[in-house]
Amino acid sequence: MIMPLGKQLLLPASPLFIWTSLIAALLLTMLGSEPWMPDLLALVLVFWTIHQPLRVGMLAAFCFGLVMDVHQAGLLGQHALSYTALSFLSIMIHRRVLWFGAPSQALQLLPLMVAAHVLELVVRLLSGGSMPPWTFWISPLLQALLWPLASIVLLMPQRRAPDPDLTRPL
Amino acid sequence: MPLGTIDRSPPPFFKQGPSALSRLFVFSALAVFLMVADARLGVIDPLRSALATALYPLQWLALQPGRGLQALGRHFDSLDQAQAQAQAARKELAAQLLRAGQVEQLTQENQQLRQLLELRQRLGGPAQATEVIYQAADPYSYKVIIDKGMAAGVEVGSPVIDSAGVVGQVTRVHPLVSEVTLLIDRELTIPVLNTRTGLRSVAYGEPSEDGLELRFMAANTDLQEGDLLTTSGIDGIYPPGLPVARVTRIMRRAESAFARIYAQPIGQVSAARHLMVLKPLKSQLPPQPPAQEASPTGRKGGRP
Repeated sequence: MIMPLGKQLLLPASPLFIWTSLIAALLLTMLGSEPWMPDLLALVLVFWTIHQPLRVGMLAAFCFGLVMDVHQAGLLGQHALSYTALSFLSIMIHRRVLWFGAPSQALQLLPLMVAAHVLELVVRLLSGGSMPPWTFWISPLLQALLWPLASIVLLMPQRRAPDPDLTRPL
Repeated sequence: MPLGTIDRSPPPFFKQGPSALSRLFVFSALAVFLMVADARLGVIDPLRSALATALYPLQWLALQPGRGLQALGRHFDSLDQAQAQAQAARKELAAQLLRAGQVEQLTQENQQLRQLLELRQRLGGPAQATEVIYQAADPYSYKVIIDKGMAAGVEVGSPVIDSAGVVGQVTRVHPLVSEVTLLIDRELTIPVLNTRTGLRSVAYGEPSEDGLELRFMAANTDLQEGDLLTTSGIDGIYPPGLPVARVTRIMRRAESAFARIYAQPIGQVSAARHLMVLKPLKSQLPPQPPAQEASPTGRKGGRP
């Protein structure tokens, strides 16, 4: 892959770390019970779909969506649908978005997060739900704002020098 | 060189499976199918139960930090607070002792009267104490998950109460946990009786208002703010006489033949930690004669 100039060469991502981070995000998302809380699982899924599209794709997004539906006791498939769409949109932009700096990346991801939320809202309204409180719309905003932080944290294991005694960037 | 010898398929490096668009279609179609099957056909429950059971250890794990913090917080409660609580509990106990005495006497009297009238014994079913594991983090619905499931004999449709009154109904049962739809959920309806006038009606969940709404009540209905609504017992699910709600607002408007009546649940709908699951009345009643139709007065409460 052609790399932007001046970027650090990253170590290969460990599959173990990818899945551990996804499970951890699932746990954290399970803890939240307010509508405004960011959907960390969606954020981490988007992150790995953009950085490792061959490892984490739509199948993973679909399965995690099903798990979220069961946890929230909602209609089975609504999160699966919105996560699948989110994963598709991430795959569409994954070659382009990494050439930008972190704030611009977050700005480009904001429409994705909003689109996933709107999709979920439409499904709920079609299945006879009511409008959620306005704080519902804070959640995609927070997800986009957390993107730079997620990029730092989730890339940490790959930023280590091949020989740990040379430099310790962590 | 003949054309047939050239390997025209791309090298494996470029093979990435089906295109993103086709995968999107497949998974979206699957998700839509699941939604339709879940909402209309009801054939997905085994899958949901299996997933819920597999998810249970994770949920348990996710709850441990919060539980630990709570335990720590209780540990450091001040002595004053503990004494105040004990004082309040003693007062409450004294007040309840008085009532308990009366209730015993009344129960006895009632029993005698009923025996005189040769009425069937009033049904008082077995109850199960459960604890709320978590509230479903869905901004559109009001459900809690309790820690008893099929393994503990919880049935779909069972009424759920707390120390103050009815809080909801079990709508889904998994092997280890169950879902309770709360009274204020839009999908739940409960038949109620006004204790002051004996008027029967059906209360619908209305989360955007006080919690419950009595629909289709004529504008001249005899209802006052502060009226106590209890379960009427004619639905075959809820035992009669459990407190449900208190009427908070009545709006009578000239342009409508119906009044808008809102009520607030008496049970701790959004804060209860410990709940009791009762057996639905119907499982204790003798089977109805086949010719007789179910009474039209709102039997439904959530999903059957």
